[in-house]
Amino acid sequence: MRPTLLIVDDHAGFRALARRLLGSGGFEVVGEAADGRAAVTAARELRPDVVLLDIQLPDIDGFEVLARLREGSVGPAVVLTSTRDRPDYGERVDRSGASGFIPKAELSGAAVLAVIGSGRMG
Amino acid sequence: MRRLRLALALVALAAGLVNLALIVRAGDAPPRSPLYLVIAIVGVSWSFVAAGLVAWRRRPENHTGALMVAVGLAYALPGLRLAQTPAGYTLYLLTATLPSAVLAHLLAVFPDGRATSRLQRVFIVANYATTVPLAFVQLLLVDPARLRCPECPPDLLGTGGQHPYGEAVMAVSDLWDVALAGLLLWIVVSRWRRAPTPRRRGLAPVVQVAVVLLVLFSVRQALRAVLSPPPPWLDGALDLAVLTTLMLWPLAFLAGLARSRLDRSAVGDLAIELEQAPSADRLQQALARALHDPTVQLAYWLPDQQAFVDGATRPVELPPAGGRSVTILRHDGDTVAALVHDAALDDEPELVQAVAATARLTIENQRLQAEVRAQLKEVRASRARIVEFGDAERRRVERNLHDGAQQRLVNLSLALGIARSQVPATTDGELAATLDEAAEELRLALAELRELARGIYPVILSEAGLGPALASLAERSPIPATVAAAPAHRLPARVEETAYYVASEALANAAKHARATAVTISARRCDGGLEVEVGDDGVGGANPDGSGLRGLADRVAALDGHLRVDSPTGRGTRITAELPCGS
Repeated sequence: MRPTLLIVDDHAGFRALARRLLGSGGFEVVGEAADGRAAVTAARELRPDVVLLDIQLPDIDGFEVLARLREGSVGPAVVLTSTRDRPDYGERVDRSGASGFIPKAELSGAAVLAVIGSGRMG
Repeated sequence: MRRLRLALALVALAAGLVNLALIVRAGDAPPRSPLYLVIAIVGVSWSFVAAGLVAWRRRPENHTGALMVAVGLAYALPGLRLAQTPAGYTLYLLTATLPSAVLAHLLAVFPDGRATSRLQRVFIVANYATTVPLAFVQLLLVDPARLRCPECPPDLLGTGGQHPYGEAVMAVSDLWDVALAGLLLWIVVSRWRRAPTPRRRGLAPVVQVAVVLLVLFSVRQALRAVLSPPPPWLDGALDLAVLTTLMLWPLAFLAGLARSRLDRSAVGDLAIELEQAPSADRLQQALARALHDPTVQLAYWLPDQQAFVDGATRPVELPPAGGRSVTILRHDGDTVAALVHDAALDDEPELVQAVAATARLTIENQRLQAEVRAQLKEVRASRARIVEFGDAERRRVERNLHDGAQQRLVNLSLALGIARSQVPATTDGELAATLDEAAEELRLALAELRELARGIYPVILSEAGLGPALASLAERSPIPATVAAAPAHRLPARVEETAYYVASEALANAAKHARATAVTISARRCDGGLEVEVGDDGVGGANPDGSGLRGLADRVAALDGHLRVDSPTGRGTRITAELPCGS
């Protein structure tokens, strides 16, 4: 069975492309969310295996969403993503408890699988 | 007005001379008024008229001068006693207490010249209302002999003999005088106690003499009431004492005036003090001393702001009309400053003007300094705003790049990836190769765009703080750089930003000009501030006035910080910025 995945990003264009890319890359995309609060709600309802989470969101940022998801007993694997580079966030990615970070331009099903397969990074 | 005053002076002079002539003509004939008493009365008359005319000329709008002249003229009336006709004598008896009534009026309203309190008004009315009626009743009931004049002509209204109530009426009249004098003493003393400091100095001699006078008068009237009559020697001595004290009152008034004028010597002291080019605070204190008003406040006019400010350029509200007084100091018609002082100093406009003229240069000087300080404050604030605005713009441009062009290029890159994955392996390799080339170009474009955005504003600074930002800066530096120290906690954004730009500009200089092989960056908290130091091992000789370092110095100065560039030729460069972290 393919792992289920929730896409969180405020750009509709990116969400559509990511859905096609990851849908054909080994994931079942079960939902999308356009901001942080919607992401937390969707994750609790849909219980996806993986959340692809943009850091820059219009309301609360990706790190905050991640912290709220971790409050639940069983959390999904979270893969952070951004247009920016990982070093732009200093050590925040390492400390966040995310499974890993993928720059948006390098997004692919294989990349996500590699990140969640290797477990938590850092 | 001048003519009126001259005429009054002549009348007083003539009345005095008539009095003296009458006593000389009377010789030994009754009534034998002692010569010295008549001379004392004429002295009182003249001294009041003379001093009153001085006061009148000096402050025509104040009724004090006119009242003093009235007192002087009234004191010429007792001379009627010497006119040896029944009509003249009766008139004398009726008006005998008028001089002291006018005098009491004067003392009650001095120095304002008009009644300002209810108590004063009540006193004045009671004083006048009882004077002539009491004398009239006395005339009806009392034998002239009881009026201390056994040989006087008969009064026209008298009953001719001793009325049974005569004694009682005399005693009541005398005691009423004591009561009025006591009330007047209360008015004079409480007025003095309420007077503001600058006015007290001028008032002191007048109040002292008035107190002595009222006490002597009360004692005399009380003795007359109790001993009825007192021994002639005692009554005569008290008469003389009262008249002598009375003669002193106008002199005391003139002394008070002179005392105010003598204060011009304080103006001399002020001039010496101003030699020391005093600070704004000291200047204000010196003015307070010269004006004998500890509450003096000096406010400088700032034409740019159309406002008065104090020495520390804090705004000063001038008091509303009717409260404390304001003297506006001008130079060539332009407002320089405002002197806020006690209203009592309005009595001495000459003193205020003299003090203002003496201090004019210093005040003008202080005003210019206050103006410069205010402008400097404004320029500093505007420089800080410009830097802040620039930084905000950088953040905005970076964010726009991130949300706009970068995002679209990322989407393009993903779309290319999808397209590439859909090219069947069986078709010729040219399409796949072209798509791969496009993807690679796109990757480079994205990398360059990211670098550009980072140069415009390092997101890591707001995301993670100065420490990680410096570490990231060192990592990306073309020459080996290490971060020796960085603050563990977050600092105000503008401090972090300025510290970052100092390090970034210094690193760029080291790489471009210094031919350095190693750079050390350290940022340490110190004295509530942050000290950023970047040292390299390059050739030195950096020019602090070059555009890069000059701009850095300006940016640091916008935070009220200091930038030092230590760059001896051949011994490396050390750039140090001290940044206060305060508000």
